[in-house]
Amino acid sequence: MPRPRVLVLRAPGTNCDEETAYAFERAGAECERVHVNRLAENAALKDRYQILCVPGGFSYGDDIGAGRILATRLQNHLADLVDTFVHGKGDRLVLGICNGMQVLMRLGVLTEDVSAAGGEKPATLTWNNHGRFEDRWVHLATDSNGEENSKCVFLRGIKQMYLPMAHAEGKFVAKSDAVLDELKQAGRLCLRYSQDADSGVQDDLIDFPANPNGADANVAGVCDASGRVFGLMPHPERHIDPTQHPFWTRRTEQPAVGDGLAMFQNAVSWFE
Amino acid sequence: MEDKQVHAGDLIVSLGGRTGRDGIHGATFSSAELTSESESLSGGAVQIGNAITEKMVLDVLMQARDRGLYNAVTDCGAGGFSSAVGEMGEDVGAEVWLDKAPLKYDGLSYTEIWISEAQERMVLAVPREKWDELRELCDSEGVESAVLGEFKPTGQLHLTYHGETVGNVSMEFLHDGRPPVIRDAVYQPPETKTLSLSENASSEHHGESLLKILGSLNVASKHWVIRQYDHEVQGGSVVKPLVGPMCDGPSDAAVVRPLLDSQRGLVISCGMNPHFGDFDTYHMAASAIDEAMRNAVAVGADPSRIAILDNFCWGYTDRPETLGSLVRAAIACHDVAIGLGTPFISGKDSLNNEFSYFDDGGEKQTISIPPSLLISAMGQIEDVSHAITMDAKEAGNVVFLVGGTKDEMGGSHYCLVSDLDGGQVPVMDVPVAKATFAAVHEVIRGRLVRSCHDLSEGGLAVAACEMAMAGGLGMQVDLSVASDQMAIELSDTQWLFSESNSRFLLEAPASAADEIAEIFRKHGVAAAQLGTMQAEPVLSVKGQDGTSTCLEVAMDSAKRAWKKPLDLQ
Repeated sequence: MPRPRVLVLRAPGTNCDEETAYAFERAGAECERVHVNRLAENAALKDRYQILCVPGGFSYGDDIGAGRILATRLQNHLADLVDTFVHGKGDRLVLGICNGMQVLMRLGVLTEDVSAAGGEKPATLTWNNHGRFEDRWVHLATDSNGEENSKCVFLRGIKQMYLPMAHAEGKFVAKSDAVLDELKQAGRLCLRYSQDADSGVQDDLIDFPANPNGADANVAGVCDASGRVFGLMPHPERHIDPTQHPFWTRRTEQPAVGDGLAMFQNAVSWFE
Repeated sequence: MEDKQVHAGDLIVSLGGRTGRDGIHGATFSSAELTSESESLSGGAVQIGNAITEKMVLDVLMQARDRGLYNAVTDCGAGGFSSAVGEMGEDVGAEVWLDKAPLKYDGLSYTEIWISEAQERMVLAVPREKWDELRELCDSEGVESAVLGEFKPTGQLHLTYHGETVGNVSMEFLHDGRPPVIRDAVYQPPETKTLSLSENASSEHHGESLLKILGSLNVASKHWVIRQYDHEVQGGSVVKPLVGPMCDGPSDAAVVRPLLDSQRGLVISCGMNPHFGDFDTYHMAASAIDEAMRNAVAVGADPSRIAILDNFCWGYTDRPETLGSLVRAAIACHDVAIGLGTPFISGKDSLNNEFSYFDDGGEKQTISIPPSLLISAMGQIEDVSHAITMDAKEAGNVVFLVGGTKDEMGGSHYCLVSDLDGGQVPVMDVPVAKATFAAVHEVIRGRLVRSCHDLSEGGLAVAACEMAMAGGLGMQVDLSVASDQMAIELSDTQWLFSESNSRFLLEAPASAADEIAEIFRKHGVAAAQLGTMQAEPVLSVKGQDGTSTCLEVAMDSAKRAWKKPLDLQ
């Protein structure tokens, strides 16, 4: 069993780092929660890790936009680290959850290589349709429909998941239909909100609350062209144990683990 | 738990936000009468919070705690540095160099530095040899820290500003020198007013009353607010505020696992009913404690291991009558806490919540808030997988009513929506409550029960309706069973809507019914198997004659009434 080392990036306002590290550890990884300032002081630290995870929270207070300041800090002071994980030798993984996805979107690493964007920013995350923060459990379907060789490394073999979302700025909006189509054809619109557990991926917009923010094509998560870099708005680390399910008390038998763990296990087993 | 002990020679370290002119006399202001001029006169009393600084301070504090970098810590609350250092140095003495405090901007006097209640500041007692390590930790997390002085074994609180003494007082005088304040408190029991209820109210009347109560603001669904809070952050949530298959049922309490690799859980619940205070603040306070306990016990907390907090909001307490009503509530807190073996571990108060203005005739008018007491309970659950929720689980399961119902309609939501006054306010029988909580806990711990809900605002009718509604089911109830088995004489209206304390509804498989009944008999607690869960989404209640229907409400109309008032866009 491989035991990859995970860098769980902390910044002022990060508040999901502990449970994210717990999820990776449950999946068999070794985790360190490291403050962004420490990485800036010691650039060589990055070589210790195989997985970079940007967890949820409200980094730098989400001042001037969710994830924007942390993304700028990474761009200006840690560009080498970002490049090593995102590109490098193609031997590492990157995961951004909620605020972490917002950071990865601001960095542009999830939406690189989209020719239909014509050199402009292909997509962004903006305010939920109703303009508020929302905490709600949502059904999710994967674009690959449970295939073992799906584009996104983290979603291999996963058909659907039930996870909570908790954000205000999580509505995925593409620059144009052409951009959306190109991403879709490449298998990069890899995680979508769905009507219920069995309804699978739908491109047509589904209604609130199944699609909780009004995202284009019901997009909840996006990966890069290699499938190694993945960002999602819902929180897989909040469904690791069966008692985290919102109505686990209705079940007479409990499953061994929650739906979210498989994503972390996929990340670990990729290093086999 | 380790002792929080300041040692002579420890450095006084401030950590976190800077000191500014916000929050000067905040504590004094929060207990002052408000007028139309408060905003301009006391604007500076309001602290300006900053969540991100708070989180950064917390991150540093947790690491410093785990590395043993300080001997004691106090949050800068009311009174700022003055009360934090004054409290921490009580047994030792302290010398404070006020010019060393990091400031938001220039121009603060030493008095302002000393009493500012600017937020996100902590005061720590740090052993000299640990200071460098703490400072490095703070720097690495971008949190500001500064040495403000030293705990010196002088027994004095000595303040300096650029080397000049600006204050010097003995700790003994500071803490014990003040003569006790003696104020008058009087209590006059209000006149009892009889409440006249119609003897034979119709099923339609009961149905309409139920819908009105469901739509009253204290009972109505709070989903619009709840969903705007991240109530699952840190991954520990086990019982969430919204429960049931549609994630919209009103949970009695929250259960969280603070440590993700442990199955032990904390149970957090509340109790409050200011309407009872219109009758008697003693019974209001007792009922609030009972409600907080009920809610905690309903999800599986062990009633012998619950601690509670009080939060008093009251009117102008220099007025003897107002102080009297506060004293009476405090006496109830004392009596019930001792009776149940449930300690108060902390609390908070906000007094003098009044607003004055001059009316058109030039007469001064004062509006006082009603006496209000919120009780919060914190319980424990050994294994969170034994927690239960209030949503009905399965058609065919039987329903027990636990606890005696009395003619206690005073202050009830039924009276509120019917515009009726008078009657007897619910009274708490402490020994009965204690036995009831123990018995309910025993059947929950024994895993005999599928769901449990406490009876509070709106009584049996609302509790039954909420339970069925949250589970997407219906319920049949027969009041003749309850009145026979419990030998209680009440009208159907009283059975449905009385708000007597220490009562629960339990849902269990029929196969567990005998064992449950036996456990309640053993504890000497009244319990009647008065209902059944059904698939048809209707709450249907038979009256005491055992044949006529005294209440029938479809779940979809109940849910609409319950969600509508706060279903904001």
